[in-house]
Amino acid sequence: MTAPARWRGARRWLAENLFSSPLNALITVAALAVAVALGAVLIEWLLLDAHWRGASPADCPDKNAACWPFVRARLDQFIYGLYPVAERWRLNLGVALGLALAAPLWFRVLPVWYPALVVLGWAAIGKLLFLGGWFGLAYVGTADWGGFFLTVVAVTFVLVCSLPLGLALALGRRSASPLIRTLSAAWVEGWRSVPVLVVLFVAIVMFPLFMPPQWEIDKLLRALLALTVLMSAYLAEAFRGALQAIPTGQVEAARALGLNYWQTTFRVVLPQAIPIALPQVTSNFIGLTKETTVLLVIGLYDLLGMVQNAAADPAWYGPGTLATGYFFAGAFFWILCFSISRASARLERRLMRRGLNQVR
Amino acid sequence: MANATTRPLGQRLILPALILAAVVGLLWLIVAATQANLERLGVDPGIDFLFRRAGFEIGQKLIPYSANSTVLAAFAVALVNTMVLGFAAIAGASLIGVLIGAARLSRNWLLARLGAVYVETFRNVPALLQVFFWYYVVLSSLPLARDSYQWFGLAYLNNRGLFVPAPEGAVSGLLLALLAGFIGAFALGRALKHRREATGRGWPAWPFVLAVGIGVPALVAWMLGDALRWEVPRLGRFGYHGGFVLMPEFLALAVGLSAYHAAYVAEIVRSGFNAVDRGQREAAQALGLSGAATFRLVLLPQAMRAIVPPLTTVYLNLFKGTSLAAAIAYPEVVSVMVGTVNNLVGQPVVIMGLTLLVYVTFSLAIAAGMNWYNRRLAVRGS
Repeated sequence: MTAPARWRGARRWLAENLFSSPLNALITVAALAVAVALGAVLIEWLLLDAHWRGASPADCPDKNAACWPFVRARLDQFIYGLYPVAERWRLNLGVALGLALAAPLWFRVLPVWYPALVVLGWAAIGKLLFLGGWFGLAYVGTADWGGFFLTVVAVTFVLVCSLPLGLALALGRRSASPLIRTLSAAWVEGWRSVPVLVVLFVAIVMFPLFMPPQWEIDKLLRALLALTVLMSAYLAEAFRGALQAIPTGQVEAARALGLNYWQTTFRVVLPQAIPIALPQVTSNFIGLTKETTVLLVIGLYDLLGMVQNAAADPAWYGPGTLATGYFFAGAFFWILCFSISRASARLERRLMRRGLNQVR
Repeated sequence: MANATTRPLGQRLILPALILAAVVGLLWLIVAATQANLERLGVDPGIDFLFRRAGFEIGQKLIPYSANSTVLAAFAVALVNTMVLGFAAIAGASLIGVLIGAARLSRNWLLARLGAVYVETFRNVPALLQVFFWYYVVLSSLPLARDSYQWFGLAYLNNRGLFVPAPEGAVSGLLLALLAGFIGAFALGRALKHRREATGRGWPAWPFVLAVGIGVPALVAWMLGDALRWEVPRLGRFGYHGGFVLMPEFLALAVGLSAYHAAYVAEIVRSGFNAVDRGQREAAQALGLSGAATFRLVLLPQAMRAIVPPLTTVYLNLFKGTSLAAAIAYPEVVSVMVGTVNNLVGQPVVIMGLTLLVYVTFSLAIAAGMNWYNRRLAVRGS
């Protein structure tokens, strides 16, 4: 009697992929042992030995075990930072409005005025809803902004400002004018060679020195400008690589048709270059999302900063609490970054089709 | 671009001239404002403060330093700490990254999956979070000094750090010998390889290279005899003392940065080998080359060409990433200069300038070194 076909297939797959030789079998067993050991430790700590019920420090008697009540009790802070509890509906409303405004972009590629409108709308949401201070809405200073909300604001602001800047710098590095080329290259290479943390310190410590004393710029704004400057240099490199990938024949053909520089750039080169640049832009976008955690060093508490702060509370203090907080923040960032990379793969496929269609 | 050349010269110069004027004007405004602000705050410009007494201790020093040393000496200690951390993390990330990359390329399905899980886990979580995890969770759960993990009574690991023996006395002699051994081994290796390639005769170079590289320093260490002692850490009343101590902050950063950047190295290694045409392996096997020879002579050299340029970027990011040390106060350039010194003397312009200069210099040096290596790997005669 022979095994059913399905089982024969499975056995063959095992034999080919896991047990093709004695060495391979040994590797399989060792890898399995490692995977099982790691998985067991994680499951035991995170699930089996963990404290689950309640939302107060008393619910976590074992200081080394995972403490989910901590996350439950502080979840609002992790997400909204120190924004006044009574005003948090403004953040929900603002983010919902912002997403609704941008939603059409997800379903189809719209002409360039629409993204511009979205950006204006976002700026209005930030100023009117998040900051407030008009129409009876209480003013909430940026010192109280924090948690995941801060990450969202920072990433959105920096990306919106640095994308056009990066594109301009990339075009600048290919300019016919040696002056513009040199200035763009110096800007890009200079900022690319220094760490984000140092640039943030420059923005905090030095920026006030650069300005006349009566000018005072908000701390969060200074930090975001610093991140924008850095990001513009990174994005310029991403765009430069993509611009180089466009065959010169495309530009020459456009010129032969009588298109001027701007027409050539915006109607021929960029529609082809942007889909090529997209994977690089995405990885910078993901890098930026992770990098916003560094803001905690200059006293702007994002999700990680709030976790760190909350776990320092003596009532909660314990290795298990801290580890649970880190695990939560890590999972949060993981899902965020992973979704960004998935979403960008989708956008890339669509832009690639559209870019090619437009050229044809 | 080409459009510009069809316009008259005067017209073509308008935009650059305006840009130049704007840049110069902006710079002038910034300099003027900064000067006015510094005067108002009573900060005397200049670098005199670098030669005054520092007045603070530093937890990890690989060159002689005390609170009585100058600020410049503190800067040097911090610079060495930055370099040690950068070197350790680059070595660690390369090692782990190559192993994980190899795992992902493995024909063993399970091993390849595990490699993929590593990469996706570590690169989608912020580096700072990982460093915090190692520092506040893993390393702070290490035992107290009296319950240290120990290896052969020479090295001790506890919640104060990793204590290892340190050479004492003729240290410079030992360092010179190490350098001589390294250079000698390198030169000998090249000469032997050259001869073998030219004549087709001779032995494989590696046993000789190894013998010189290890033998020369060992011989010198033996000849130095009593002039060179090893100071082993001893348990005193306040924990271990003597020998080198690698602070927990250093360990957390080295492990955290290595693990994080290893995910990127692994991806680069994987795509580098995937970029080598399948036909290359098949052709090598058809010529009768063994598996190891195929790898060493055919696959590796071609993969390296695709690996080195993106690897340079990872190394640069990693070196810049050492500045995360400021978040857990490991005394490298950023925490010592921007954190401690600036708070003490309030000379932000010089201090920030010096700090930025350090990173620009190292970034340029790493990029130059890797570019040099990349040119050596390029196809000869093409």
